[in-house]
Amino acid sequence: MIQPDPTSIDQSAQGREASAGGRTNRSSHKPVLELRHVTCAYEVGEVAISDISFSLFKGEILCLLGPSGCGKTTTLRAIAGFEAVASGEVYLEGQLASEPGLLVPTERRRVGMVFQEYALFPHLRVVENVAFGLHALPSARRAAQVESMIELVGLTGLEQRYPHELSGGQQQRVALARALAQNPVVLLLDEPFSNLDPDMASKMRADLHDLLRRTNTTAILVTHDHEEAFAMADRIAVLNNGRLEQMDTPEVIYHTPSTPFVADFVGQADFIPGMIENGKVLTEIGEFPNQENYPGGVKVVVMVRPDDVHIVPLENCEARIQARQFRGSENLYTIALPSGRVVHSSESSTSVYPVGTAVELQVIATHTVLFKQT
Amino acid sequence: MTTTSAGRQAAPRSLSLVALLVAGLLCLPLAYVTYQALTAGSLVWGRLWSTRIPELLSNTAWLAVSVAAGTLVLGISLAWIVVRFDFVGRRVWEWALVLPLAVPSFVLAYVYTYLLGADGPIEQAWQAVAGPESHIFSPYSYAGATLVMTLATFPFVYLMARAALLNFNVSFEEVARACGASRLRTLFRVTLPLIRPAIVAGLSLAILYVVSDFGAVSLLRYQTLTYAVYQQITGRYDHAAASALSLLLVLFALTFLVTERWFRHRSRFFQTTGRYQVFVRKRCGPTGTLLITAYLVLVFGAAFGVPALLLIQWSLSAVAEGAVDARFFGFVWNSALLSGSAATFALLIGIPLAYLASRWPSRLNLLCVQAAYTGYVLPGPVAALALLVVFSHIAPFLYGTVVVLIVAYIVHFLPAGLQSMEPALQQVAPNLEEASRSLGFGMVPTLRKVTLPLVRGGFIAAWVLMFLQCMKELPATLLLRPVGFDTLAVRVWLEASEEYYELAAPSALLIILLTLPALLLLVSKDWRAA
Repeated sequence: MIQPDPTSIDQSAQGREASAGGRTNRSSHKPVLELRHVTCAYEVGEVAISDISFSLFKGEILCLLGPSGCGKTTTLRAIAGFEAVASGEVYLEGQLASEPGLLVPTERRRVGMVFQEYALFPHLRVVENVAFGLHALPSARRAAQVESMIELVGLTGLEQRYPHELSGGQQQRVALARALAQNPVVLLLDEPFSNLDPDMASKMRADLHDLLRRTNTTAILVTHDHEEAFAMADRIAVLNNGRLEQMDTPEVIYHTPSTPFVADFVGQADFIPGMIENGKVLTEIGEFPNQENYPGGVKVVVMVRPDDVHIVPLENCEARIQARQFRGSENLYTIALPSGRVVHSSESSTSVYPVGTAVELQVIATHTVLFKQT
Repeated sequence: MTTTSAGRQAAPRSLSLVALLVAGLLCLPLAYVTYQALTAGSLVWGRLWSTRIPELLSNTAWLAVSVAAGTLVLGISLAWIVVRFDFVGRRVWEWALVLPLAVPSFVLAYVYTYLLGADGPIEQAWQAVAGPESHIFSPYSYAGATLVMTLATFPFVYLMARAALLNFNVSFEEVARACGASRLRTLFRVTLPLIRPAIVAGLSLAILYVVSDFGAVSLLRYQTLTYAVYQQITGRYDHAAASALSLLLVLFALTFLVTERWFRHRSRFFQTTGRYQVFVRKRCGPTGTLLITAYLVLVFGAAFGVPALLLIQWSLSAVAEGAVDARFFGFVWNSALLSGSAATFALLIGIPLAYLASRWPSRLNLLCVQAAYTGYVLPGPVAALALLVVFSHIAPFLYGTVVVLIVAYIVHFLPAGLQSMEPALQQVAPNLEEASRSLGFGMVPTLRKVTLPLVRGGFIAAWVLMFLQCMKELPATLLLRPVGFDTLAVRVWLEASEEYYELAAPSALLIILLTLPALLLLVSKDWRAA
């Protein structure tokens, strides 16, 4: 397993660790959640997720990222106990929760769940929704807990409303308060921002991030939006076709994706074919270091992102600007190479060149990402 | 004419006039009965209060309560089984459980007077077990009426609960479980409260059916308000007392109609929008399948299977005895003629009402449609009584002709047709008509070329529905038919009252056979197989 960037853990876990007598490294801590080689199948023979393994530590925020049907929601549901596992194990706080033939019921797992459409009980008021999971508490403590939750998510004054009397953002806050009220082991969020308009979504993202940090909540968030994952996550797990392609910090995922799928999914990427010669990668846009130490003669592709490619107008160059897309903060150029292949370049919003201009390409990448050609 | 938006064209005056006139006429019977009842004088009311009313009210209320309890248990449990479990034959059962709606209550009652009667097959079976001196409950009792009415009406609750469960967002249950609620707590705190509006709507329909039923209670000799109104008219010719009882009955029925509408409206608001989690059926093992199938066979057999088999057997022996003769086909013709003309006229009358209400929903136009719905709260004997009185005052020369009967059918069953016509018209976007108008077609050609073809399905359904209701109508037909003019329903009732089980069977079977395809057609409109 790939270790996450330790700095992010430092920040998130500091408050709690201080009282625990200082902390040295995370391996001495038990993970809050652990999946070991989990496979789920809806129908016999049809595999929804396959051989998923990862661990999550207290206070961490993990994003499950992938296209629809990649198995991210199934993973979430397997953790919640809504799906049985066909093989592998799920551990919650060190306790075995799922294995073939064993499925600890959801109500005994203490997982908080926020659904895409929130699933607020329409027949209950805000207070009653938030109090729903607290029926075991004596009423005075329950009321206090509900009140502090409502205050935490900033809904004071709306306690007596019914869900349909709330805006989308407010509904989501209620769903959050309800899930957090029982102090869950892990909070599971299934595409929580997809029902909000973009402005509201980005505000809610920031608020949620802040809230999770303040409460030191361990959370898993399912999303298909890589920008959302970058903004929220300590670590990102990219899933494709039911398999875990890569799991790492957002920066690592973006800059050094481990598969072409990840490279393409987390941002715009061009793949330029090349050949290993004399310990270098030769491509039509220049030479790259052979970081993977492939032997000579191997065919590879080099991944370049638009922000790695800089263009300079220069006569007699064979690359031509094919299109320009103005995006406000940048200009995204599509460059046609002599071979007919295209590559993208991101330039400042004031660098405007007409279509058809001959340009020279300057590729400045801190790390070269190579994949073997298949 | 006030309209919603300033720029809209006003509704054509002639159409509004027609609608107003029709609505007025449709209201007349109820108004007349109310007037009669209120002017009946303290003597009549006092006599009724001290003799009949307490008993009738309590009989009717208790029957409603017990049938409500029975339909709730049957309807919800059956819906839950077919929606949440997967077992062999589930799809067939899902449909089969609707079939009891094709059996008119008086047919079911007549079959049960035989089945539960003294020395009937059930009592004989019971005596073989419990000794020759033991007896089971008589069909002519509170228990008998409860059983028959429950079996006749549980599909209302079943259908509504099934639809609600199919549309149920399983996320609600999952989030409840994630909050630590057990299965049982989830069921009672989340699932049932959320489908409650649908259940209450179905329940209100069932109770409305019970309260206004005449056929079954008359055959089972169980005194309810509806039966008493009929007796007041036929036995005592006491129109004032009958009107007084009718008014009570109307108020009773109105309560449940309003309840049904209110909860149906609420259930719409309870539906969650957008994407939702679809549930996974729980697959049953052999034991589970056996238990479920046994339960389903019991309920279906009691409500449809056994009655249908008995009717077929009786019909066959009736045919063998030559009972299906020219006279029988005369009854078939009478039924078809009456029902066909009533349904057609009702459809024609309903069109302007429904059209105005859906295109120009002004207060007046909506009031016209609401007026047409008064027929709903007029149980058969009450409608008959009202028309008897109205016609004997206004047009005595029509009294005793089929015209009175057809008018009674229209007043009584137009609401059922309107319920199918109104949504059909509302689904046609007004801008389709506006497009036609912009292309140079006038109001009437637009209606003919655009609107009617689009609403054809809903209108055909309305016609079929009204036709079938008329075929099954009993009390108004008994009271208003011309002398010697019998329909199939009347024949069933007359023969069954005399315990000529075999003679009644061919007519009863024919009604069921005619109803079945139409029932399946109507149900399949809103059917969703998951």
